[in-house]
Amino acid sequence: MKRLSVAEHGPSVLVAALSGAFGVSVLQFVGVISQIVAADSVTGDSGIVSVFLGIVAVVFIVIAVYVGSIVTANTFSTIIAGRTRTIALLRLIGSSARTQRRAVAREGLSVGVIGAVIGALAGTAITVGTVSVGVAVGFIPDDVDYTYLSPVLILPLVVVVLTTWIASWVGSRRVLAVSPMEATGAAHELTLAEASASKGRTVTAVVLFVTGTAVLVLAVILGLVSPFAVLIGVVGGLLSFTGLIVGAHVVMPVALRLVGRLFGASAPARLAAENAVRYPERSSRTTIGLVIGITLVTTFAVALQGYQNLITAARDSNPEYYEGIDDAFAVTLVVFTILMGFSALIAAVGMVNNLSLSVLQRTRELGLLRALGFTGRQVRGMITAESAQLTAASVLVGLVLGSFYGWVGAQSMFGSINGSPGFVAPGIPLPFLAGVVILAALLTLVASVGPSRRATRVTPVAALALE
Amino acid sequence: MDTSAASPASPASHIDLVARVSDLGKTYGAHDNRVSALRGVTIGIRRGEFTAIMGPSGSGKSTLMHIMAGLDSATTGEVWLGDTEITSLADDALTILRRRRVGFVFQSFNLVPTLDIEGNILLPFELDGRRPSAGEREWIDQLVVSLGLVDRLRHRPHELSGGQQQRVAIARALATRPDLVFADEPTGNLDSRTSREVLTLLQAAGREYGQSIAMVTHDPIAASYADRILFLADGEVVRDLGKSSAEEISSLMLGMERAA
Repeated sequence: MKRLSVAEHGPSVLVAALSGAFGVSVLQFVGVISQIVAADSVTGDSGIVSVFLGIVAVVFIVIAVYVGSIVTANTFSTIIAGRTRTIALLRLIGSSARTQRRAVAREGLSVGVIGAVIGALAGTAITVGTVSVGVAVGFIPDDVDYTYLSPVLILPLVVVVLTTWIASWVGSRRVLAVSPMEATGAAHELTLAEASASKGRTVTAVVLFVTGTAVLVLAVILGLVSPFAVLIGVVGGLLSFTGLIVGAHVVMPVALRLVGRLFGASAPARLAAENAVRYPERSSRTTIGLVIGITLVTTFAVALQGYQNLITAARDSNPEYYEGIDDAFAVTLVVFTILMGFSALIAAVGMVNNLSLSVLQRTRELGLLRALGFTGRQVRGMITAESAQLTAASVLVGLVLGSFYGWVGAQSMFGSINGSPGFVAPGIPLPFLAGVVILAALLTLVASVGPSRRATRVTPVAALALE
Repeated sequence: MDTSAASPASPASHIDLVARVSDLGKTYGAHDNRVSALRGVTIGIRRGEFTAIMGPSGSGKSTLMHIMAGLDSATTGEVWLGDTEITSLADDALTILRRRRVGFVFQSFNLVPTLDIEGNILLPFELDGRRPSAGEREWIDQLVVSLGLVDRLRHRPHELSGGQQQRVAIARALATRPDLVFADEPTGNLDSRTSREVLTLLQAAGREYGQSIAMVTHDPIAASYADRILFLADGEVVRDLGKSSAEEISSLMLGMERAA
């Protein structure tokens, strides 16, 4: 029907490509590690590593696709919000809402296919490149002839295409609510009624969260018996986290308000704090991607810390059982760290995109502020403060949730290992914490550069004249 | 404030002018598609007067207001606010000038939606990083009472009617006692009864508080509230009238439309 706009769909293609690359890479790395393990005379017969890797790969891919879908659905919602006038005009001429929505879903399908193809190529390139470097520096044994292509790789790609398609469908539900009247320009500001959420949604959120938490507790207990309890843990994590996402319009504004208070009482800071929570729906959309990313990264960092604590304790009680297992897991650890960055990146794309769109949709208000005496620097300060608040609130929520999930993950997966001490206390590795803070600060700056440049480049007159 | 810019060369007759432009020109575009919005406009806005700037669409009246208020740049000519020549000012200096010495009432979207009414009225002070002094506080309280906003201070803009929102904008514009308040079609979005209310308030601000006001409008009824009416057509000032009735203004406008 019409050509895909790079400006609009660039971020979604990027997200689909990242998810695709992620899925392909994870499976390829698992393949490579299995080949290393199989070739290794010490661990080759233990089998335990392959089982764990298989489980972990599935967990990783499910989570990546989940992050990708949420970010894509949110991006599509934001795109639809920006396209309201065009959709309304087409409705005015006589196009039905369903036709319009189907057109958006078709765009979603194209985005998914393009993203998956790019992702497959990029993912393979990353795997081959990393392995070559690993072999060159002697980190990965060079006596194995690694193969990368496997029919299994089709699976994550198909899943990425399907979830992007579904996400675009879910994200485009607002199309149905666009009235042809909006083409006349009478109602171009988002109505506040849209932001007020139904009671049913809050109840759903609480039920999901409580059920999920109960399942997580169950996973911890079962983890003392079997490593497969981690799969139950994943279910619990997904349930409780979905609960958080469904209830994000309640949770995130609270977190944003708390963080907003830390930014002082100057006019730009106060306006930024208000902007961050003016549309609970939108601010939760903007932040949830990052919450997911940080939760994910923290989950794995804390889980690895928990694993190390458990394995150290277990090794002390049964040294000969754990001989030689260290290397394989060191490799896994490095690979995981790289792959974790992928998920956080997916989330960051969503955050940057949402912030710039929200500033774009506020052009007229920025024009008013400039007219009334906001200097260019104050406008930039306000947007940076807004970006910082969104990031800080997401990081805080993500760290708290991730610490819990990570601890549950380690407990449920490794609680039953030979010589396990039972329970260990959760711990956040300090270098990791420092890394998160630095990256969050970087993200804040990166996310605010584009929007604040655009906001200060428009003259007040042009901004005010905008209808 | 900054009085050092007072040039001894400025003629004594300019003392009662709160703002003036001389030989002001503004062109948009380049080369072949050059459009002149203003062609050598010279006017002065008298201190304490309510001046209406009238003209049909495209006459350049909004451009004139934007340039006088430091929102847009001039292509040629001089623009004075009090004794400051503003065409040479950098963006930050212009911003601070708008903040401290100019007030604005726009047609719509006047208020910051995330701030309550009090926050909106105090915004120019907040932007300056200060609280109103005791004297200013008293003045603001007086404005809030006389504009009937006492019960509305904790409300958000969307909870107010259009007329109430314009009153808040007027309160904000008057709060800093600026040299000049610019009103850009302030009644353009209001019904006729609310329009009369708002215009009466602007008129009273001039008469009771000596506030200088420049209002851009194409509505003869709105212009009839002013003490003086300047007519613009095709980027030039074509008439300078004293207080006139809406009928007189209408027929003048019609005559101009026919001549065009």
